Amino acid sequence: MRWFDKLRMGTRALFRHGAVERELDEEMRFHIERQVSENLAAGMSALEARRAAMIEFGGVESMKEEVRETRESNWIHDFVQDLRYAGRMLRNSPGFAAIAILTLALGIGANTAIFSVVNATLLKPLPFRSPEKVVALWQTESAPGSYPLTGEDYLGWKAENRTFESMSLYSWPSHSNVTAGSVPEGATVVRTEANFFTLLGVSPLVGRTFASGEDHNGGAHVALLSYPFWKSRFAASRDVLNQTISLNGEWYQVIGVMPAWYRTPAEAELWVPLDMSKKNLGMRGSHSWRAIGRVKQGVTIEQARADLKTIAEDYQKQFPDNNRDVDAIVTPMREDLVGDFSTQILIMFGAVGLVLLIACANVANLLLARSTSRQREIAVRSALGAGRGRLVRQLLTESVLLSLAGGLFGVAIAFAGVAILRAELPDTVPQPNPLAVDLAPLLFTFLVCLGVGVLFGLTPAVQSSLVDCGNALQSRGAVGASATRRGRWLRNALVACEIALSLALLAGAGLLLRTFAHLRSTDIGVRGEHVLTAAVRLPEKQYKTLDQGTEFFDRLVAKLESSPGVRAAAIASKLPLRGGTNGYIQIPGQQTDSMSGPLVEFSSVSADYFHAMGIPLLEGRELSKEDFEVTAALIREEVAADKAGQDLKELAKKYVLPAVINQTMAKTFWPKEDPLGKTYQNWVAFRVVGVVGDVKQSRVRDKAMPETYRALAWDMGEPSRPFSIVVQGAGAPGEATNAIRAAVQSLDPNLALFSVRSMPQILAESMQDTSYEAVLLGTMAALALILASVGTYGVMSYVVGQRTNEIGIRMALGARPVEIMAMVLREVFSVVGAGIVVGLIGSIAGSKVMKDLVVGVAPFDPATYVGVSLLLALVAVTACYMPVRRAMRVDPVLALRYE
Amino acid sequence: MGKPTDLVQGTLDLLILKTVALEPAHGWAIAQRIRQVSKDVLLVNQGALYPALHRLEQNGWIKAEWGESENNRKAKYYALTKAGKKYMQKEEANWLRLSAAIGLVLKIG
Repeated sequence: MRWFDKLRMGTRALFRHGAVERELDEEMRFHIERQVSENLAAGMSALEARRAAMIEFGGVESMKEEVRETRESNWIHDFVQDLRYAGRMLRNSPGFAAIAILTLALGIGANTAIFSVVNATLLKPLPFRSPEKVVALWQTESAPGSYPLTGEDYLGWKAENRTFESMSLYSWPSHSNVTAGSVPEGATVVRTEANFFTLLGVSPLVGRTFASGEDHNGGAHVALLSYPFWKSRFAASRDVLNQTISLNGEWYQVIGVMPAWYRTPAEAELWVPLDMSKKNLGMRGSHSWRAIGRVKQGVTIEQARADLKTIAEDYQKQFPDNNRDVDAIVTPMREDLVGDFSTQILIMFGAVGLVLLIACANVANLLLARSTSRQREIAVRSALGAGRGRLVRQLLTESVLLSLAGGLFGVAIAFAGVAILRAELPDTVPQPNPLAVDLAPLLFTFLVCLGVGVLFGLTPAVQSSLVDCGNALQSRGAVGASATRRGRWLRNALVACEIALSLALLAGAGLLLRTFAHLRSTDIGVRGEHVLTAAVRLPEKQYKTLDQGTEFFDRLVAKLESSPGVRAAAIASKLPLRGGTNGYIQIPGQQTDSMSGPLVEFSSVSADYFHAMGIPLLEGRELSKEDFEVTAALIREEVAADKAGQDLKELAKKYVLPAVINQTMAKTFWPKEDPLGKTYQNWVAFRVVGVVGDVKQSRVRDKAMPETYRALAWDMGEPSRPFSIVVQGAGAPGEATNAIRAAVQSLDPNLALFSVRSMPQILAESMQDTSYEAVLLGTMAALALILASVGTYGVMSYVVGQRTNEIGIRMALGARPVEIMAMVLREVFSVVGAGIVVGLIGSIAGSKVMKDLVVGVAPFDPATYVGVSLLLALVAVTACYMPVRRAMRVDPVLALRYE
Repeated sequence: MGKPTDLVQGTLDLLILKTVALEPAHGWAIAQRIRQVSKDVLLVNQGALYPALHRLEQNGWIKAEWGESENNRKAKYYALTKAGKKYMQKEEANWLRLSAAIGLVLKIG
């Protein structure tokens, strides 16, 4: 029966709370009245009788509270009550609640989103079988840097090594005309050795990967699809395995689809087997291929590296012509994929950490300011019989409620943030793992915020135990002076920290923005505002000879030039800022250490290229029609001689081809001479006929390299390689796009256009990293600025509010508003100034990490630092303006009465 | 004022149980009766009485019912339950044993 009674009473206390409380009141009232009547009977007066009874009874409320404490169910009840109370408190100060929740949400959300990126790229193991055993293979050359592998060296390494379980070769991505259905479209294709995906240990989502032997004899005509390609072209149909697709005019059987998360290495839309025949892989000295390897179990990467180095040294002796400086480079896969980006990602991570710290400082500050103003409330409650534990529990509930609300919004922000990052992250940022919201950092940041909330939410309870109840109640407005001073010191320190951290973030963002501005204003050497570009790739089957290729492109250019809205049209082997081919040249009469001089960029262009691209001619002339013919003549002869197996060296001696060079090349090789008429050797001799302005070849931030332009026919021996169409339009970009598409389709309806981009687009893409970094860091800096100004505002309005009484007295005694303003500003400036000084020292010390990211501006650029300091000071002063103005408007009489 | 020690608290419980064992009584009457029976030696503080009553009720040793009081007012009457009677007998025996033991010790001097 006992447990049943207990349960009945417990549930009654919980659900019929009102009735139980009423009964308790009734019981107490009865007791007192019974005593009153007893006292009356003893001869006391009515008033005296009641008073005596009340005194004898003691504190009604504290006794009721003690009675309530005996009820077992009361923790639930207390909780509900606390929750209701906390909700009411937060509703009563919506500004405080909104700021605190927003602060928490931003701190938690932004952190989780960025940490998810860090985790996916830097921390999580790569999604391969025993990922620590997978390495990337590269070679060295006489010039510094990592070079792709030569086919023969690779085959040698593969046969002779003793430390690798397997190795796999793969190509660079290439644009191909893919027909999956009726319309030809451009797609990126990577050719891999058959064992590529087996080596990684990645299974396909549908079907199979390449079987061994499919890379023999020219490569089997089978294709693996990437998930996005499968989704867009085959509507994710399982039936895809029975389909064939046309790749540059040849049919390929679809054998499988890779999982959606698979991106790197060998990022592509389609994979087909690489023809592993020696003929296809090319000669020693021709660095064309990428490779990965899997180190044997029990073998370290160092051992594998040493193993390959031994083989490479052997080749250096065996093949001194080609392999004199060729060594092996073995890099762990993750380093290979994210090496360049780890600095940037870590900077972002650091920035997010700072935002989290600022958010925490803000929440702490808000709660502290609040706690001091609640000291009286707490004192009243404890005088009314609220136990210490009960008070703590109630404050805890409030803090936790706040943190939970912040956490909830934080989760929403985290998901939104990751979705934005997933869409906006530039392709250049490697994503070996799929990007998703990570639970761990979400939990971590949430717990940090919760911890701060609880810690600082409890200060009123702690302070109330330090301050005597009666004292707190009596001292009214000027609550426990010593506690206030300590609180104020802590709050000021927190604000100073916020300012310092914000300054570091703002400085970083400022540097990136200046870098971005610098890059934007950098001249890349072309007048590209109205230039539209696109790429085409002629199918090998139909376009075998130079004349077929030349005919196609001549007709294309003619058609384009007669199209409405086109001012000039040209064909080029590569575009500015898109990277390209380069090599070494020899110059007669100069030191010809073949491979140690500066690299020279090679471009092949059609007649009107400089005009179409807006590249200025500085000296001499452009390439003429005769120049194209003599170049074409050599290439025709070369192709024929190559087929007949004749010596190409003799052939080369017969020709001197015309070439145009850029300014840097002229200055590099003929610094004090007239470059016109000079020659250089690159298989055949070239004579310089003109000098044009420099064009940035790969990145805006890099200097232009020496570059030489040859007649388009130079690269037309192989007409099926990709060429770019360049059109100088007169009107809207869309018009030019249609003109290009129409012209190409009218010549060959099976050709697809790739990478249709305007020059401004290419420029924007090439700066995507910097703009992305600037936007990300700028957003976080803005966030920091908002949080810091909110923090400053909160503290200042509190401090000024506390001093309203004092301000009133001062004004009553004749202080002028200016003096009051000066007094408040002195305090603001001491706090803000301390923050700025600390922030400046910290960020200048830390500016080294930014040196790889900034261009055209020093990492400790004084203008940036002065600018952000002023900005912060301005924001801080603005944040104080409202509270100070409020205080000064107060009627001195009212202020004196102010409690 | 500090809380009563366990001994005192336990003693108060026993006194209450003993009092309501005779007949159901309300809080005021319980306090009065303990005072009278002890010849004004034991004064039960209200601040301790009601929490003790509610705790005993919570434990199921007494049960409460609203009834008419001697001056025709509604009052909450507490009565001993079966479980309360058992508990009381056990506690009473404990107490007697304890006080006898203390008495023995005191007699030595």
